[in-house]
Amino acid sequence: MPGVGLNNVVKAYGSTVIIPDLSLDIRESEFVVIVGPSGCGKSTTLRMVAGLESVSAGTIHIRDRDVTYAAPKARDIAMVFQSYALYPHMDVAGNMSFALRLAGTPRAEIDQRVKRAAEMLELTDYLDRKPKDLSGGQRQRVAMGRSIVRDAYVFLFDEPLSNLDAKLRSTMRTELAILHKKLDRTMIYVTHDQIEAMTMADRIVIMDQGIIQQVGSPRDVYTAPKNRFVAGFIGSPSMNFLDGELHGSGSKLEVHGQGFKIPVSKRMQITANAAKDRRVTLGMRPEHFAATANKDGKYAALNLDVDVAEYIGSSQFLAASLGGQPITATVDVGPDAEPMGSGQYFFDTNRMYLFDRASGEAL
Amino acid sequence: MSERIAARSLNNPWRVAGHYFFLVLLALICLTPIWVMISTSLKDQITIFDGKPIWFFFVPTIENYQDVMGAGKFDKYLWNSIIVATVSTFLTLLLGGLCAYSLARAEFKGRRFVANATLLVRMVPPAVLAVPAFSMVLAFNLRSDLMVLIFFYTALNLPFAIWLLFGFYKQIPVELEEAAIVDGASPLQVFFKVLLPLMKSGYAVAGIFTFRIAWNEFVLALLLTGRNTRTLPVAVSGYLTDTGVEWGRIMAMGTLIVIPPLLFTFFAARQIIAGMTAGAVKG
Ligand SMILES: Nc1ncnc2c1ncn2[C@@H]1O[C@H](COP(=O)(O)OP(=O)(O)O)[C@@H](O)[C@H]1O
Ligand SMILES: [Mg+2]
Repeated sequence: MPGVGLNNVVKAYGSTVIIPDLSLDIRESEFVVIVGPSGCGKSTTLRMVAGLESVSAGTIHIRDRDVTYAAPKARDIAMVFQSYALYPHMDVAGNMSFALRLAGTPRAEIDQRVKRAAEMLELTDYLDRKPKDLSGGQRQRVAMGRSIVRDAYVFLFDEPLSNLDAKLRSTMRTELAILHKKLDRTMIYVTHDQIEAMTMADRIVIMDQGIIQQVGSPRDVYTAPKNRFVAGFIGSPSMNFLDGELHGSGSKLEVHGQGFKIPVSKRMQITANAAKDRRVTLGMRPEHFAATANKDGKYAALNLDVDVAEYIGSSQFLAASLGGQPITATVDVGPDAEPMGSGQYFFDTNRMYLFDRASGEAL
Repeated sequence: MSERIAARSLNNPWRVAGHYFFLVLLALICLTPIWVMISTSLKDQITIFDGKPIWFFFVPTIENYQDVMGAGKFDKYLWNSIIVATVSTFLTLLLGGLCAYSLARAEFKGRRFVANATLLVRMVPPAVLAVPAFSMVLAFNLRSDLMVLIFFYTALNLPFAIWLLFGFYKQIPVELEEAAIVDGASPLQVFFKVLLPLMKSGYAVAGIFTFRIAWNEFVLALLLTGRNTRTLPVAVSGYLTDTGVEWGRIMAMGTLIVIPPLLFTFFAARQIIAGMTAGAVKG
């Protein structure tokens, strides 16, 4: 299969195993985002694809070719580094054309490709500037430009936006998505920021401690997280977890915990009945709380002690507690509402998640 | 804070005067010996030994220069000095650069200690090494070979060069090399097209120090050279004769000796500035 394949890849430094066994198939032209907390092995994985890091075991394929032991330049890849790694002594044009010059591309073609990339990235006026005379956002775009003039088969990005301020970051997110459409190339993008992952990815790979926790579309990983880690990592603010036990049976099944009794939704009943004697963790996303009950009756009423209500426009963010355990909620009450206080709130039970408390796997 | 203090002190005329006084004093301390050397080299023997020293008003003569440069082997000694200083500087930069790069990039325990410990070797004064060096040279029967001096100067200068270049290499992020590798550069291309342009100032500074030390060194050169392999500092000592010290000629030769390192330093200093404007290595 064309694209990029990692097959049972292992990475260890001495006796420290960073990546125990990783397999992943990336389709041609796909935009895959690898996301996970800092130190989980994302960069290491990307650098093994680039050939900057050796693999301890396993194989890597790019476009049906085994490149496990191939040098970076034989892999048809381009890479954007977190620190941009622009050559300080070369101007923007020099930075962008470096790879082409090394490859002996004819002068006219180099000029034309650099020109086209510069237009695409709005760098035309800066071609003869040195990196030190550019703003952070411009440097970032030069780093992008340096990779796109290559017209490589795979583009690798290692947290390319993390040094930008919030506003620029969201602009660049959009531009990157557009760039992917234009270039129609395979892209592997590494980040610790789940919002970047959700907004740009065709598919998200969620990693923790060197192990892939789940692979799926942004919708998949948000609506059907495979385990507690994925559920807590994807979504902002993150999901609330409360310990509980299952009581009753059949359609009368409920989760009981400190300060709450919540009926298990129809969707969850079959799997939950099968797990009845296990201890569970209840997962509730903050955005699935509301200040008023809905007519369809699929809401559970909960008494929240609200510590702080933060105004965020049309909704409010509540830092509260339920039966002594901290809980967060965002409730949509319109821009003119008074700060919300303690009292009864309603949780959409259709949106509940249940996890096995011991293994953390979703039921 | 410190800027405010500096600004306030610049408003006070007494302080400004004090600053300038000190600067002029320092300049005098530095320049006086040089003036004495140059002026003495332009005086004849009688003027030099004239009761009280004459600072400015005397009839200059180039007699001393003619003597010194005309005397048999000046050309030879100059050539020896040039060969010894340039070759040992080249070797020091080449080997020191390789060591420094390895120390900066390789991961092993105590790496920083090794890098700094190289400086300790530098604390040993060359004179202490003179006797062991001399017996080594005798043992290998290498006296009167320029290679000997080149070898010892390289060994003497390496520690400092390594330590200095280590600091420069540490400042270049590894990602720059990795970016170049991904861009398709071979190891040599990474070095010549990415590292070297950024290391210009480092190599220039190390080169200036190394060249100057090799050019001026006296004790080892005196012991380890023969009739045909003398360097200029050793040749100068030839004018300390049984019949008297020929100050005029010594100073003339001294003045001549200063010129090449000055030229070298001006040339190398240009690279320091070139290296600095090559720019912010960090993004
Ligand atoms: N050269 C190395 N030697 C030992 N451990 C390393 C080395 N490089 C990275 N690691 C470790 O590997 C783990 C994964 O690193 P990395 O892939 O950079 O994480 P991420 O990019 O997800 O933040 C980290 O715990 C890090 O400490
Ligand atoms: Mg990383």
